[in-house]
Amino acid sequence: MSHEIFMPALSSTMTEGKIVEWLKNPGDKVERGESVLVVESDKADMDVESFQDGYLAAVLMPAGSTAPVGETIGIIVETEDEILSVQKNNKTVKIQSDENKKDIQLENKSEEVSVKSVKTAKREEPKNNKVEEKIIKNESQIDASTANSSSRVIASPKAKKLAAQNGVDLTKVRGSGPHGRIQAEDVLKAKGQPTAVPWIGEGDYSAGIINNQVAKSITKEIGNSFGKPGETVQFNTLQKAVNKNMESSLGVPCFRVGYSIKTQNLDNFYKKVKQNGVTMTAILAKAVAKTLNNHPQVNASFSENGIKYPDSINIAIAVAMEDGGLITPVLKDPSKTDLFELSREWKDLVKRSRSKQLDPDEYSTGTFTLSNLGMFGVDRFDAILPPGTGAILAIAASKPTVVANDNGSISVEKVMQVNLTADHRVIYGADGAAFLKELADLIENSPDELVT
Amino acid sequence: MIDRTSILKQPNKISYFNEVLKMQEYYQKSIIQGDLSHDLVWIGEHQLCYTIGRGGNYKNILFSFNQNKFNLYKVNRGGEVTCHMPGQIVVYLVFNLKNYKKDLNWFLRKIEQIIINTLNYFEIKGSTKRGYTGVWCDDKKIASIGIGCKRWVTIHGFALNIDCDLSNFNKIVPCGIEGCLMTKVSEFHPNLETFDVKRIVKKFIESEFNLNFVSE
Repeated sequence: MSHEIFMPALSSTMTEGKIVEWLKNPGDKVERGESVLVVESDKADMDVESFQDGYLAAVLMPAGSTAPVGETIGIIVETEDEILSVQKNNKTVKIQSDENKKDIQLENKSEEVSVKSVKTAKREEPKNNKVEEKIIKNESQIDASTANSSSRVIASPKAKKLAAQNGVDLTKVRGSGPHGRIQAEDVLKAKGQPTAVPWIGEGDYSAGIINNQVAKSITKEIGNSFGKPGETVQFNTLQKAVNKNMESSLGVPCFRVGYSIKTQNLDNFYKKVKQNGVTMTAILAKAVAKTLNNHPQVNASFSENGIKYPDSINIAIAVAMEDGGLITPVLKDPSKTDLFELSREWKDLVKRSRSKQLDPDEYSTGTFTLSNLGMFGVDRFDAILPPGTGAILAIAASKPTVVANDNGSISVEKVMQVNLTADHRVIYGADGAAFLKELADLIENSPDELVT
Repeated sequence: MIDRTSILKQPNKISYFNEVLKMQEYYQKSIIQGDLSHDLVWIGEHQLCYTIGRGGNYKNILFSFNQNKFNLYKVNRGGEVTCHMPGQIVVYLVFNLKNYKKDLNWFLRKIEQIIINTLNYFEIKGSTKRGYTGVWCDDKKIASIGIGCKRWVTIHGFALNIDCDLSNFNKIVPCGIEGCLMTKVSEFHPNLETFDVKRIVKKFIESEFNLNFVSE
């Protein structure tokens, strides 16, 4: 198993970062939490740590080079045996760029360096150009190596699944992702299917315009059952817990309020930031959290002593478990975290929730819940309120819809239906409506604001 | 609101750089490991020394550091070479940014604001230059900033020249900016004591980060 190291976002406005130093050499053993490299933006340095025990197999960007946020800059593998195969596929670049070497040579001669010989501040510019050139060179090297030589195919899990479903030979597909990684779009392109990027939803499945073939195969795979016909299967612990939670909602006077949100701008925004590893879930969580900032009532909940207003806005998001039941990992205060970091946090949470490694603090501290079935093409649904919270938002797929406009004209626009379920003891119809109106306004008109 | 509390350390003596660095690293580690819930603010002064960030360019050091006649430290912060000495206020902020905002740019801009507010209090006009982190009085640099960060827990901070021997900066290209001239508060207010400025710096750290100081 190999894991990529990405260029992290040190701030919400950062688009690229400079690799100051690799603290590990290719082949070195790394422990979880150990610093692997140092990245700099402005006058701030950040230690980038490994998320797992293993070995640094490849360094794809040398020290001194600049890489866009979200770009793969190194690869960590779990066992020593994998190092070679990764190195074969990814030409490891020299740890130190030539630029830095020159510096070091100069270092030794530093006694001779006088004030005069130090060039002006302008030298920054040519240096940058050089670095960029170098990056391009590196990339083409890596591209070439993955395109022809390798027997090992580098593809996203989604691409692999799609390829298997559609009978596409991955070794013949040219990848458009980082370092020639094959993405879902590449598989669809190879298959000759429309490449309208399915845009909503998390992880494995596409949403938005779902073509029938893909939709069918999804149903086939997802329509799972935990028992055989004629059997009665005991609930597992997680299912029991979910049952209890869902039953407790019967004692809550809930109401629902829905809204249709146009998603053209959101769609465009997502296409732009997707390449930096941003997930739709992170975007939606952030949009909701930002809107909740202005609608504290919708973030509140019922308690015996009165209406409880939490310290922070924590967005819980329902994730179905493969062996039944569901869990709600929590993004804490997403409005304070930039979108790139948030997406990474979310991916980490999902991964760890599937392997059941979440701390209680990471799934039980939600103050508002999201449930997204958009990836299945669902056009609308309503959700059950989790105990201890005041509201949950059900998000359906965005679909091309015939819209009658105010001026009497008719147009086709992509529209997504959302449906808020709320505890009427705390949240009233007007509160819910005002919240949805502002959420819709944010998503429809200024999704760009969600970056910060 | 999250209750943000910070330990405040204000030694009366002039401190050695490496001792304080060790202390900062100890606090950073404690916060990362969850053993400490308070942040740390250290306000003091250093004996003469030079420090350079990990990404720093050694071309900017104009003395022979092989002999290390001058104390030179390569440290885990961003930024180029700088110089510390008595008469210059050094402030270290070991902050858990998870309790504030996980954004280093935001943090740098906050620090600049603290320095500008402090100068403004003494009726000195400080300003920032786009692309050149730090605080400037006209075209001269009065304060330098450099931050390191691990799991969103910061280390290092800023240095503000009050009444120090600026000729020490002649041995380096400060912050790697060629032709960069330095200035100090005493060029505007000759009678000001570092003690008075420290008091005001502390006040603006408190208000800008909205935190409470506690004793350890």
